[in-house]
Amino acid sequence: MVSPDLSVELGPLRLKNPVLAASGTFGYGAEFLPYFDLGAIGGFVTKGLSPAPRRGNPPPRIVETPAGMLNTIGLQNVGVDAFVREKLPGLRAYDTAVIANVFGETDAEYVEVCAKLDQVEGVHAVELNVSCPNVDDGGMIYGTDPGALERVTRACRRATRLPLIVKLSPNVTDIRVTARAAAEGGADILSLVNTFVGMAVDVERRQPVLTKVSGGLSGPAIRPLAVWMTWQVRQAVPLPLIGIGGILEAPDAIEFLLVGASAVQVGTANFVHPDAAVRVVRGIEAYLVRHEIPAARDLVGTLGTGLGP
Amino acid sequence: MLPAALRGVKAPHLDPRIAGRRSPPGGSALTDGHALSILGPRREVSMPQDLRVPVLRNVDLDHGSFLVEFDAPEMVAPMRPAQFFMIGIPGGETLLRRPYSVCGLPGTFEDGTPGAAQVLYRVVGRGTALLAALRSGAVLDVLGPLGNGFEIPATEGVVPVLVAGGIGAAPFPALVAALAAASPRPRMIYGARTSHDLPLADWFARRTELEVTTEDGSAGRRGRVTEPLEDLLASTHPRTIHVYVCGPDPMLRAVARLAARYAVRCDLALEAHMACGFGVCLGCVVPTHRAGSDFAYERVCVEGPVLEAGRLAW
Repeated sequence: MVSPDLSVELGPLRLKNPVLAASGTFGYGAEFLPYFDLGAIGGFVTKGLSPAPRRGNPPPRIVETPAGMLNTIGLQNVGVDAFVREKLPGLRAYDTAVIANVFGETDAEYVEVCAKLDQVEGVHAVELNVSCPNVDDGGMIYGTDPGALERVTRACRRATRLPLIVKLSPNVTDIRVTARAAAEGGADILSLVNTFVGMAVDVERRQPVLTKVSGGLSGPAIRPLAVWMTWQVRQAVPLPLIGIGGILEAPDAIEFLLVGASAVQVGTANFVHPDAAVRVVRGIEAYLVRHEIPAARDLVGTLGTGLGP
Repeated sequence: MLPAALRGVKAPHLDPRIAGRRSPPGGSALTDGHALSILGPRREVSMPQDLRVPVLRNVDLDHGSFLVEFDAPEMVAPMRPAQFFMIGIPGGETLLRRPYSVCGLPGTFEDGTPGAAQVLYRVVGRGTALLAALRSGAVLDVLGPLGNGFEIPATEGVVPVLVAGGIGAAPFPALVAALAAASPRPRMIYGARTSHDLPLADWFARRTELEVTTEDGSAGRRGRVTEPLEDLLASTHPRTIHVYVCGPDPMLRAVARLAARYAVRCDLALEAHMACGFGVCLGCVVPTHRAGSDFAYERVCVEGPVLEAGRLAW
């Protein structure tokens, strides 16, 4: 059999393979150059970019929990201008999709970052971070209030011609409601899910482990929750989806593809093995060969039916 | 006496000093100029590798301290003292790797396995407990070398002063070996709560001008490392001193304050929780001074783990 076609199309965004590295776990890309050619993965999502640099939260910021970790980084980032000036030029040499994760505290800040990224070469899509649980302003409000989410999505839609991804928060009663709101606002693609809000306690000190008390839970612990939410949104909204949540290896990624995601993001696993996303690409390819499936897109949404959605 | 873990274990290359046994004083294996040029102050870029490597020995040093030796010659060849590894234990019981300072590099422990590295650790949680249970033949997922490492003074006449607190002694054997050509017996102050918390003290006693302190007086001088350090700083010309420190946070702060008061060069090897070890999780940051009164968070894993004491905003 000829090697399978790994490419996927998510509306206006074409990827050479369905594996992206998730925002907040991949720096600005260059940090991974010692470990693999960025062209080996479909693309990556940058650390969340705000209009101005952000210092982030005081340490301790992370703690391992059963099959996962909590983090409260607080969106420490260099700011969109420094990203464009210092980080982006070096990325243009790599045959991979660069997706800029965008964060703001107000509609105007989201729009400002989107508009700046619209003017530069080398950004293939923007992903709105409307679901960061670790900052005091913005973030979570946009992720949980359908009206605010639709409004900011529409404003960003007007500010950029780039493919627009909205990253959904799982910290809601019914994720289909926010998914529909993002679709109404003009999103091209939905990515899901961001981290679940959680908390860990140091029983010896009788204190929260993290300085900001709560943090975002990621890792394999959340995978069944994320797969279920992806399945739910697949039934509710016709947009292409990117599945995220605790993917360590290829079978984990294939779960998301089968329930209807056209691509996936590998997150926490990048911390464990720098080349984790590449291992997932290779594993998906081996799976397709083993099952004599000609293309990765043939897997999407074929759960229990053998047919596409 | 050989530690219990090693009795009956075949370990042909066992360094008696690793096992804490008495042995005659001898020269370091790292005394030639070549080794020093590798470990010298020039910052070579060494590409980290991610390897699954075999455990050669895991020596119980008693009272919760262990020294694990593993085989990764290409990874450790370019390493400098106070650089570190991220070590994971395959099998999925823990998700994230843990950071461990390199303790011994090839040649540091005379009878260490050629090409092998040693890591000194203390059982403090689940990750270290799992590591302590491993025997020779088990495997580790090791990522390294990571971080910047200690600078070895390029000029003659510098007096290195090593200050260690408890398990903070971890990076110092490799440093003692790297300093051997320029400073055959560096000054060292090694403190802990009790005599049980001073792993490798015998090894240091043979290689350094060692002063031990314990808070309970069970070994050496009763008190903290800052007391003998202040004596030493008061009696030596500060411009010639280079203080290297590793230990718990309150000790680092106290030593940094003292070094600032005497205006001596003071490098801290920091410890922090980290998920990745190579600069992307941003979990391990410490506040550092920036121009003006502002501060920034810098990563212990990339900008450190060694930071000049004056840079820290704490």
